[in-house]
Amino acid sequence: MTTYTKPLPAISSLNRPYWEALKRHELKLQRCTECGKVWYPPAPFCPACWSDAVTWQRLSGRGRVNSWVVFHQAYFPSFQDDLPYNVAEVELEEGPRLLTNLVGVDLAEIRIGMPVEVVFEDVTPEITLAKFRPVEQHSR
Amino acid sequence: MSLWDLREKAAICGVGHSPYGRRLNRSAIDLAGEAIRQAAADAGLRRDDLDGLIVSFGTPIGADADTLAYVLGLKLRCYLQTWAHGRFTASCIQWAAMAVNAGLARYVACMAAVSFSGLRKPMMGGAGDTEGAREGGGGHGEDPVFGMTSPGAGAALVARKYFARYGATSRQLAAVAVAFRKHAALNPAAIMREPISVEDHQNSRFVCEPLHLLDYCLINDGAACVIVTTAERARDLRKPPVYISGMQGLPAGREEFIWTYPGFGISQQAEYDYEPGLQPVYQMAGVTPAEIDALFTYDAFSILVWTALERFGFCRPGEAAAFTQEGRIELGGALPMNTNGGLLSEAHIMGWNHQVEIVRQLRGECGARQIANAQIIQWANAYGDSLIYRRG
Ligand SMILES: [Zn+2]
Repeated sequence: MTTYTKPLPAISSLNRPYWEALKRHELKLQRCTECGKVWYPPAPFCPACWSDAVTWQRLSGRGRVNSWVVFHQAYFPSFQDDLPYNVAEVELEEGPRLLTNLVGVDLAEIRIGMPVEVVFEDVTPEITLAKFRPVEQHSR
Repeated sequence: MSLWDLREKAAICGVGHSPYGRRLNRSAIDLAGEAIRQAAADAGLRRDDLDGLIVSFGTPIGADADTLAYVLGLKLRCYLQTWAHGRFTASCIQWAAMAVNAGLARYVACMAAVSFSGLRKPMMGGAGDTEGAREGGGGHGEDPVFGMTSPGAGAALVARKYFARYGATSRQLAAVAVAFRKHAALNPAAIMREPISVEDHQNSRFVCEPLHLLDYCLINDGAACVIVTTAERARDLRKPPVYISGMQGLPAGREEFIWTYPGFGISQQAEYDYEPGLQPVYQMAGVTPAEIDALFTYDAFSILVWTALERFGFCRPGEAAAFTQEGRIELGGALPMNTNGGLLSEAHIMGWNHQVEIVRQLRGECGARQIANAQIIQWANAYGDSLIYRRG
């Protein structure tokens, strides 16, 4: 197995449940049971109403491309071989937006509004990243 | 009306800057010293008159306020420093305006010095950018885990969305870079003075697509300084005062993303049709956008010119793309912008070079690039803060 050399997330007391869920191939974010808001990034209480009634909810994993860019410059040497690579902002069905890489799609085919679904990429024994790929059928 | 009306109660009384260059081989303290001493001389002040210092960009790229006091022999009654972002220029001047009117200091030097070429490890993206990897996301939407790094990448996300939402093009964005390069050609202090065309812009390589190299500002060395005092004191000094008529603070929150206005729909912003209304800076100054003789903005990336114009109501959302064509933002146009050449072509001194230019324009010191009879000039940014200056 080759060593993964790209930057890894910093696990904190706030975001640990997010990364533990991804490791089990589940996309979870915090949801407020008082106002119903789902948000990213993880917070100590609901950023919409400041309620402490916060649960970790499993999400559908579906969303749409809100915007995307293509890197032509390798700021990190570990991304050199990927050039040109995409970074997309995906708007989840539940509302929050996540930064990610789109997989299984040519750069020329990426469009704003394109429906996508989560795929789980185990990059180390501890860390799994949520990436997204296009879906043909999308119910919203 | 606020309890403490500061309209035209503070003024800029002196400006100064070091040479600007790609690789000056001079330390940030050295550059800062030149800028601050020039600004004092411009105002007709002596070293010991300066009793306040506000620095917007410290180590490792710049020089910290306490070090500057110690090394340059300043005797400060108060100092303050923001962390290393260009976004704090107006905030520094606003705090200085309050400090001199509250009696905390008499003359506050506000400045940034930068020596990007002196850095061992690049900080604008990549492994040296520790802030980009902080908890909760970087200051421009960075997330290094996905290779999302550098301030320009966040601007590229905004540009892509802008193009799609409003049917604008990269070719239209070229007009911004071309206009500011024309201004730089008239400015002996500017680093990039060779004219460029729309084709040059289109043919320049992508850095973070859809932004081309010529959509990106310079990375360079230099320092610039302005001295803030009370309007009353400024009237007795060597140069005519430039009054601070209006101020608007730097907003933050989930509805803000550094490179655009609320409602744009990037990061966690809601998406809706933004309505600027009459922004607080105009209400404080008692003017409207129609009375602004020239507009200066933080043009780290060309797209920020469009979002700034729309944020402050110079254009409706989506209309800046057309507005910035046909010389409208050039000298002689309806709304000249960044007549120094901006961060894109003069130098990237975090917008401090723009403050120097605004003051010189209002004093009529700009020679070949002088705006005829400039009375009111605004500094207003995509991220929502602003200053309105008036000729004294
Ligand atoms: Zn809530």
